[in-house]
Amino acid sequence: MREKLKELLKTNYPEIDFEASTELVDDGILDSLTLVGIISTISMEFGVMLPYEDIVPENFNSLDSMAELIEKYM
Amino acid sequence: MNINHWQKSKRGFDMTYNSIYFILFLAVFFAVYFMMPKVGMKQCVILLGNIFFYRFAGGLNYLLIIVGTSLVVYIVGRLMDRVYGGYEEEVRDLSGKEKAAILAGYKKRCKKVLIAGLILVLGILAYIKAGRLLKWEEVGSLVDFRPGRIIVPLGVSYYTFSAVGYMLDIYWRKIKCEHNYLKLLMCMTFFPIMVEGPISKYNELIKQFNALPKFDYERVCFGLQLIVWGEIKKTIVADRLVIYSNYVFGNLYNFAGVEIVIAVLFNVISVYADFSGCIDIARGVAQVMGITLEQNFKQPFFSKSAAEFWRRWHITLGTWFKDYVYMPIAMSPKLMKAGFKVRNRFGARAGSFVSTAIPLAIVWILTGLWHGTGADYFAWGCYWGVLIIIGSTFGKEFNRLSELLHIDTETFAFQMFRMIRTFLCFCIGRMLTATGSLQGFVLIIRRLFSQASLWVLFDNSLYDYGLDQRDFYIALFGVALMWVVDVLQQKYSVREKIAGQPLVLRWIIYYAAIMFLLIFGMWGAAYDASSFVYGNF
Repeated sequence: MREKLKELLKTNYPEIDFEASTELVDDGILDSLTLVGIISTISMEFGVMLPYEDIVPENFNSLDSMAELIEKYM
Repeated sequence: MNINHWQKSKRGFDMTYNSIYFILFLAVFFAVYFMMPKVGMKQCVILLGNIFFYRFAGGLNYLLIIVGTSLVVYIVGRLMDRVYGGYEEEVRDLSGKEKAAILAGYKKRCKKVLIAGLILVLGILAYIKAGRLLKWEEVGSLVDFRPGRIIVPLGVSYYTFSAVGYMLDIYWRKIKCEHNYLKLLMCMTFFPIMVEGPISKYNELIKQFNALPKFDYERVCFGLQLIVWGEIKKTIVADRLVIYSNYVFGNLYNFAGVEIVIAVLFNVISVYADFSGCIDIARGVAQVMGITLEQNFKQPFFSKSAAEFWRRWHITLGTWFKDYVYMPIAMSPKLMKAGFKVRNRFGARAGSFVSTAIPLAIVWILTGLWHGTGADYFAWGCYWGVLIIIGSTFGKEFNRLSELLHIDTETFAFQMFRMIRTFLCFCIGRMLTATGSLQGFVLIIRRLFSQASLWVLFDNSLYDYGLDQRDFYIALFGVALMWVVDVLQQKYSVREKIAGQPLVLRWIIYYAAIMFLLIFGMWGAAYDASSFVYGNF
């Protein structure tokens, strides 16, 4: 899952190094506009609808946390 | 500048932050607060202080409204908490997907309670906004209140937003509700945030109320410094500059060219000094108590784009709209599906445009309406919305254009250009709303280009409109000081730097700041300019 997600994000957001930090949201690397794009991409590619209560910085701060979140709803 | 409704207390007390009554209130409040040995006692003092402040700054009628609102918020929170309690019991041993299916039913039940709460709490604000649009009479007492009249409680825009955020966070299960009503009331009436925010998250405030620290010399000094700095911005810069700009905007046919440029610049700087000054005072007062309030400004005039500007100006309002309007709309299944459809048909970029531009447009129209209900604020919201959508959509094209034109975007000159461009965007935004109507905006533009009026820079006529030469120099010195502090603040914490200086130098700085404030500040309600600009929202 992690590798698949990494490839997907790399293709869609080549300018962002998703492994540069484990605080992607808290460090300001991912702003709200990017976050919306990432969530749309995830929903489309993995067929999961993430509930809004899970859209919190902790779930998007790293590749690992994003992969974990997707697995929770697959 | 308009005098705020809350300045005219029924008991005749002027509790504006630059009034003697407020300073006396603070002195007594802090003395009593620090005499209390236990957290619970400190909480009682805060609650009593809030009620006292609200009673005398706003009046008994306003106090009744905010207490009623807090009761609604409390009951809504408790009811949703009870429903979710049942859910927690039911799903204890289930997997993620099963939990999600069951949660939907519980959320449906909570939604009814939430909607009732939102209608009641937002209804008051919506009624006030509608009343202002329709120019209904504003009354100060519930006895005089009837349909077609409005009553405007102190800080209604701020506490309504915080309360809505609190209820939504409980609904989304991001926070647990507070079980002690008095603690929620303490948050909703917390006097430092009553006048102009910041728009605080109640759960964060409650956490801090539960762990109020003991007296700490360094922390109290830092808080007092922030209060003094906020007062300097307000009474030395904002209250002076606004006199000139108000005079010009009130008599536009008599001014032109450079005079208009100066009035716009003074208006923009005074709004910044006024609002950020008020926030500094609020944060300073809270810091003395041991409470850290959210930052509302981060040197906004150094921003290089419209989007960055709004991440640095009125930060808590932007965060509120991001958390409670932008993200929920962008994440709504309907919009996501629409985004997918567009993406499949017209490509990824078009899909991304739909999922970001629609919520952004809604956010900016609502931000405009939050600030004011007239056509000028609607236009203002649309103006910022368009700027931000263009910036977010065509970023790649702008970069490509820079490459084509061989512009090195990393140079200092280009960064300066971007900062000046953003500053000018803000100035145009202010011109839209400065006179209170779109006709006023058109008149400003016409007068701006009607003649240069350069001679006013040399014939001393600038000093004939409420500010004499001395006032001009004092205000401009204050502006220079603010600019230097903002520049330094980009690199390090100025307060910590001062605290690290030798004792004598440190006290020379404190003494100079206090003397500067006492001698040159414009104190009390005698100055019409002394009402806080953002208190009107």
